[in-house]
Order: sequence, then C-alpha cells, then structure tokens
Amino acid sequence: MSTSTTTEWGPAMILALGMFAVATVLGLAKARSRFGLVGFASLTGCVLFVTCAIFATNGRIVLPPLIGLAGVEVAFRIDSLSRWFIGIIGLVGIPVCIYLPGYLDHLRGRVRPGLVWSGLAVLFGAMAGVVLADNAVVFIASWEMMAISSFLLVATEHQKLSVRRAAFIYLGATRIGSAFLIAGFIWAHALTGSWRFEDWTFQGTSATLPAALILVGFLAKAGSWPFHLWLPIAHPAAPSPVSAVMSGVMIKTAIYGIVRLFLLGHLGAPWVGWILLFLGCVSAVWGILFGLLQQDLKRLLAYSSVENIGLLLLASGICLVSRSYGIALASDLALGAVLFHALNHSIFKSLLFLGAGSIDACAHTRDMDRLGGLARRMPWTAAAFFVGCASICALAPLNGFAGEWLIYRSAFVVGYSAPSGELRLIGLILLGWVALTGGLTAACFLKAYGIVFLGNGRSGEARKAHEAAPGMVIAMCALACACIGLGFGAPFVWQGLARMSLVSNPGGWNLPVFTTVLGGGILLAAAWAFLSRLERTHRPTVYSTWDCGFGPLSARTQYSATSFGQPIVRLFGKLYRYEIDVVGKGESQHNFPTTLSAELKHESYLESRVYSPAIKGMLRLSEGLIMRLQAGSIHQYLLFMIVTLALLLWLGGVI
Amino acid sequence: MSNVLIGVALHCLLVASLPILLACVIRKTKARMQGRPGPPFLQPALDLAKRLKKSDTVSETTSWVFRANPLVGVALTVWLALVLPWTGATPILRGSGVADLILIVYLLAAIRFFAILAALDTGSAFGGLGASREAALSVLIEPGLVIGLAAASLSSRTLDLSIGLGSPVRPTVAILSAAAFLIAALSELSRMPIDDTTTHLELTMVHEATILEYSGRRLALIEWTVMIRTAMFFGIAAVLLVNGMFGPDAATNPLIIGTGVIAAGLFLAVFEGVSVKLNWRRVPSFVAFSTALAVMSAFVAAVER
Repeated sequence: MSTSTTTEWGPAMILALGMFAVATVLGLAKARSRFGLVGFASLTGCVLFVTCAIFATNGRIVLPPLIGLAGVEVAFRIDSLSRWFIGIIGLVGIPVCIYLPGYLDHLRGRVRPGLVWSGLAVLFGAMAGVVLADNAVVFIASWEMMAISSFLLVATEHQKLSVRRAAFIYLGATRIGSAFLIAGFIWAHALTGSWRFEDWTFQGTSATLPAALILVGFLAKAGSWPFHLWLPIAHPAAPSPVSAVMSGVMIKTAIYGIVRLFLLGHLGAPWVGWILLFLGCVSAVWGILFGLLQQDLKRLLAYSSVENIGLLLLASGICLVSRSYGIALASDLALGAVLFHALNHSIFKSLLFLGAGSIDACAHTRDMDRLGGLARRMPWTAAAFFVGCASICALAPLNGFAGEWLIYRSAFVVGYSAPSGELRLIGLILLGWVALTGGLTAACFLKAYGIVFLGNGRSGEARKAHEAAPGMVIAMCALACACIGLGFGAPFVWQGLARMSLVSNPGGWNLPVFTTVLGGGILLAAAWAFLSRLERTHRPTVYSTWDCGFGPLSARTQYSATSFGQPIVRLFGKLYRYEIDVVGKGESQHNFPTTLSAELKHESYLESRVYSPAIKGMLRLSEGLIMRLQAGSIHQYLLFMIVTLALLLWLGGVI
Repeated sequence: MSNVLIGVALHCLLVASLPILLACVIRKTKARMQGRPGPPFLQPALDLAKRLKKSDTVSETTSWVFRANPLVGVALTVWLALVLPWTGATPILRGSGVADLILIVYLLAAIRFFAILAALDTGSAFGGLGASREAALSVLIEPGLVIGLAAASLSSRTLDLSIGLGSPVRPTVAILSAAAFLIAALSELSRMPIDDTTTHLELTMVHEATILEYSGRRLALIEWTVMIRTAMFFGIAAVLLVNGMFGPDAATNPLIIGTGVIAAGLFLAVFEGVSVKLNWRRVPSFVAFSTALAVMSAFVAAVER
C-alpha cells in the first residue's frame, strides 16, 4: 500500500483543509451574519472529504514547510485506509454542519456560536490531518490540535461548574495519552531513524516497548477500559453536535492509529492482539453495563461508545491473533469488521447524539426519568432515533448488524479452523461474549427509546415538547437513511473494501441480505394487507390503557428508566455494588409513610479503588514536594531551566 | 429437483399445520394433567378464528409501534419458520445462507425489540414490568443460544443452520447443545418454570404482561406467532437431538421430527403439570444452566474436533 508518487488530488485535499481554516477564522469574528458563510465553508470541506474518499488516487502531498522542522517534511499521504477514515469524517461532518445552526439557536445567549463553529472547523481539519499524516511529527501535531480543539469544545458552556470539571478531566486524559504516544513515537524513531510510518520496521522484539507506549496512548484516546473514565464525563458535557463528532469520529482516530500501526503496520505482534482482545471484551461488557445504569441520555450514549470501542478492539484483537496463527480468513474478516463497524458506529452514534441534542433542546432535559411520550410530540426525531436504536442493537438488516455479523463470523472461523483446541474454544466463547454484549445493548437502547419516546410524558417539559427545527430533523433523517442504506448495501461495502485492497477476500460477505429483506418485506406486506382487509369494516376502538378500574393512570405509574434496567442491573450488581436505599418518613414509617424516597447507589470499583487513591497520592505528592519547588522566585526558576537544559544536552550527547 | 420441491412443499405445509396441532396437544394434555376434561381438542384453532373476527381496542397512549408489533412479529416469525430446518423437510432457500445463525438470532432479537417497545408504548406499569423482565431474560439466553448452536455447526464449518443442523454432529455436542437450546427456548417461549402464560398475577407475569393491552385481531396474530415459535424451537431441539442420537438421515426425516415435536409438546405439558413457576429472582440461575451447557458443548466441540 505504500507509495511515494504525488497525487493529483493534493489540491482538493488542501482546499478542504483550507475551507476549515477559513471557517475557523470567520467563526472567530463576532458578526452574526458571517455564520452562514462559516457553515458553508465547513460543509464544503466535509463534502470535499467525502469526494476525496470515494475518488482520490493514492499518493503523497508534500507542503513547503513554513518553519524549519529539522528535515521533517510536512507530508500527507492518501491511501485506502486514510480514504476510508476521511470518508467517515466527511459523512458525519455533513449532517453535523446541517444540524448545528438549529441547535445553536436553542443555546442562544449561553454560548458564542462563532466559537463552536471555529472549534468544530479546527477539529475536522485536525482529524483529517491525523488520518492523512505521512509521518509521526505531522501526526502528533494534528493529534494535539485535535485534543486542544475538542477540549475547547467540551468547555463551550464553561459557565457551569460540571462542564468546567469535565473539560479539565478530559484535558488531563488527553495529556496523559499524548505523553505515552509521543514517548512511543520518539522511541520508534530512535530505533528506526525515520519519522515516516512506512519506514518503521523493527528487528526481533525491539518494537515491544515502543509498541506498548503507543498502544496505551491510543487506548486512552479511544476510551477503552481501563482508560475510559474521561469519556462518559467529557462527551455529555459538550454540546450535542460536538458530542456526536467526538463519539462518532474523534475516538475513531485512535482506531485508525491502531489499524495503521498495528494491524497493517509492523508494530503488530501476537501479544498486542491478546491485549486488544482482552481489553475489547472487558470494555464491551463494562461499557454497556454502566450504560444501563445511567439516567442521563447522553451519558448512556457515551458509555455505549465505550462498548462499541470495545467491539472494535475485540475485532482488532481477533485480527492480530488469528494472523499470528495463520488463519487468513478470520483475520481478513476481522479487519473488515473493524473498518466497517467503525463507519457504522460513527453513523448511528452521531445520529443518536444529535437525537439526544434535539431532545435536550426541545424538552429541556436529558434525564430519562423526566421524559416520555415524545414520539407523539416529535415524530420525526422519534423516527430517526428509532432507526438509530434499532441499528445500534444490530437488528438485521441495518448497518449495526452488518458490522457485528463480521465480528461473529471471524470468531466462528477461529472456532473451526484454529490449530489448537484452546483457540477454537476461545473463538466459540467469543461468539457468546459478543452475543451477551448484544443482549445488553438491546436492553440499554430499548430503555433509551422506550422510556424517552413511548408512554406518557413524565414531566411538564416532556408534555410540552415540540418538534426540532427543520435543519436538525433533516440531518438526523439523513443519518437514519445512511444506517438503512449501509445495512442493505453491506455486500457492496465489502466489495468496496476489497477493491480498495483493505481486505483480500472478495467473497468474504456471504450473507444474502436482499433475499432476507425481500422475504421479510413480502410477508410483512401480506400481514398488513390481511389485517387492513379485516379492519375495513371494523376499525380498532381507541380507548385508554387498562387502569384496573382505579381511574386515569398518572404518568408516574409507568416504569421509569431506573426501574426498567433493574433486573439486569441486579444480575450484575456485584460488579458495582448496586444498592437502593428506600427511606420512608411519617408517623408510621414502615406501613404508612407520608413521603417515600428511594436513592440508588452504585460504586465503580475502578474509580473508587484505583483512580481515586492514585489521584489523591499525586495531590499529596504535589502539595508536599512540588509546592516547595514553586517558591515564586524567578532566580530559582532560572536555575531549574539551566539545570534542565544541561541535563538535556548531556542526554543528547552534546556535552 | 422435484424431490427438493416436494420437500419444500411439505415444509410449508408443516409450518402451517404443526404449530396449531402442537398448541392443541399442549392445551389438552395440560387440562388432563390438572384432572379436568379440558376444552375440545381444536379449541386453540377455534379461538384464533374467533379473535380474527373481532375488532380490537387500542390505547390512546400508543404510537405506531404498538400497532406494528403484531405484524412485524408474524412476518418475521413466519419467515424464520420457512427458512429454518425445524420440520425435517427441506426449508426454502436451503443452503443460500438465509438461515445464518447470527441472522436468525438477530431477527429473533428484532421480534423481541418490537414486543418490548410495544409493551412500553401502552404507558401502563404492567407493560413496563413485562418489558423490563423480557429484556433481562434475553440478556440471559442469548449467549447460550449462540454458543450452543455455533458448537453444533462447528463440524460442518458453516453458520448456515439449514446445512449445519443436517450434517453429522458429534453426539455429545448435539445432546449438550440441544439441552442448552431447550432451556433457552423455555425462556424465549415464556413457558414454565420461567414464566406462566396462564397466570394474571403481576408478581409472576412476564410475557402476559407485555401483551396485556392487545385484543381482537392483533392478539390473534400474537398468539399465532407464539404457536409457531414454540413449534419451531421444539423442532430445532428435536433435530439436534435426533441428529446426535440417530444421525443426519433421521434428522431430515419429517415423520421422525414431526413426532419429536409433538412428543416434546406432550413432555412440556406433563412437566408444566407437575412443576411450579420459579421465583423471579431464581430464574437467572436456572437460565444460566443453558449457558453452562452450551459452554460445555463448545468445549467438547472445540477440543475433540
């Protein structure tokens, strides 16, 4: 896949990046009238991305450096893999650009719209830079721009304390991740003498340590267990279109890195595969289990991103492990699964986040226990959200199913063709593990759709909600159509992957999607025709829900989000010490309490037992030792600088 | 060619008749087990015909999901019954991959998805209760279902059940998988000891709570769906079991499998007559047997290839 020819698509790509630069600058200007222009520039950039993804020829783009970079070129490279991910960025970017104006209207007075536009433009440009980077230096530069711009976007509503806290946690997580990544890149450079990814070939096991550092860096960005803590805090805090981009696309850049360096590059080793497999399994179930606990819709979606990242890592693990055992078909299918599911997840997750944004904007709350009955108030949003939920639950034949089917199939291929019994058993158990994840996901998103959109409104806001602005609806419906289209067109997507030579087996997709859709569709139409024929004479009577003869049901008698998840949450209760404290008050507290309150408690052991003590220790250390170093004396600081400089020079072998 | 056509025709005929016959057998046997003469043998079929004539009452709270659920359920269930090799005769489109295990599991999930949403759609506490329990049960059974059937199809190297279930399977694997599948089926079909379809006590209801608001034609469609699903699940278990004990030839014989399905119905009715419904909190540990058996089956299949 490596190539050193320049591509004639360079100008188009530069133009796309330029569009985002223009959008950034225009967005910073205060005049409101320019926002149309800003949006148009961003939209053009995204459309150019999609065009490049489909038509671009492979090759390099080298820019004249603005400053001397010690011989490092400002070089980008278009190849099949970067085209795939550029396509993902563009496909999510277009609806987000359409959605944003309507959403920003709802936030009027609370945020400066221009800043959100600018931040998003930088984010899009930076993500494109990451997936196009030809060498590690350009990669890191884009990576950092991506981290900073997304930090600023998370902090959009910085008037709120919770948002500021989330933004700082996110910033901390990105710093730690980047530190590992940069250390790994420098080490790899030291071993190979080149910054270019395609020159990174290693002898023997020399790649182990840099590979481990780089892997940690990517996993922290992707939000895999146990580095996922920032994700459910940061993503819900950002404005919804931003969460859509972050959850849908930004964390996929880490998957891109893993595919580029580990799956297709020379850093991949069996042990990496096993680690990815293990972390993927844990992330998948862990993420969705915590998702089930959530009441905040956006937090639920964020935890589900942890789950989906888990599935992607699991598939990457299958790819590497089966390659090391020479099972080419499984490795091929798993690689296809990673790429396809990354695309699918970015589509349906951004759809769901945009839906959550519409709900937030129109019903003024994201707390599921205060929502309900929105399907009648917001029919279009409900329809699009329904498709998103069905798709993330992998209901056939939507796109979520297509990606997961590839994962299942690769695990099954491992199950029958692996050379050793243990490995075959692992393949079969993986099938069950993915099925368990699937069952939990279904429960989680049944809760999300059923509680939010069906039944009766649980609060005044929910009962007064109205449909979102046309632009927002159009964006969501476009994504919903993409979900359906990618599901039905899965065989073509696989062929496309084969044509881009990302997978080597053109016959890897052997599921007759069309036959199933056709068969099921005919039967559905027949059932519908039968029923409407019967109903021609006797229309259904409309009456109230059965209330046991006690008079009208209040909305509070319905199951809430919390109670829906109860049976499952209890099943896994040991994992997070799930407890409900019911407190009754009144004269006879036990039998006839006048007020009754229930409080849920759960403890995430990872946070309470590992991270909190670590952070506390760090704080104690900084208060004791480091505060003393910060004496506020400029002489002392100068001394530190000189000592550091001398140390670096000595390490570099200059002195 | 004509053999295949006759096989397919026989399959379609059995899909149409066997489920109702099975429902009749179960109802009559259960009545006898309880010491009463019971309704006429064909009463379940007559009930269906009666309900199809009645118009239904729909709650004003509901959205399109509630009205669509019976239709989706019927369409997908009939499709599954047509493509799955559960009667011993040749299912339609055999070997084309439409009976892919994962596709089947997710089509079943789609049926459940609509059923649960329809229950939540009514806005009643019953619906929510049934929905939440149904979701929990599906989490419990899905791993066992997938592992068990995948282990059984391991030796034929294909996920296509229309081929996998009809090719030679190691007896141990077949029997373990069939047992795992039967336990999962009891839960999926809401039978004893996991759920009692005849009770109307809130504490114990699962499936009944989700369909409480249905009446008339839509109820008839749902009941027919349940009948087909029952026969289909018993059929697959019978195919697996017969395949393990007597080989693939017997497993593709409609007479043997048809008898097996009816026998399974008789066994279920007797079992339901003598067993009690489990406390809801003890259901998970019962259903976990399914997963355990499936993992054992996978172990045997993987190690002793």
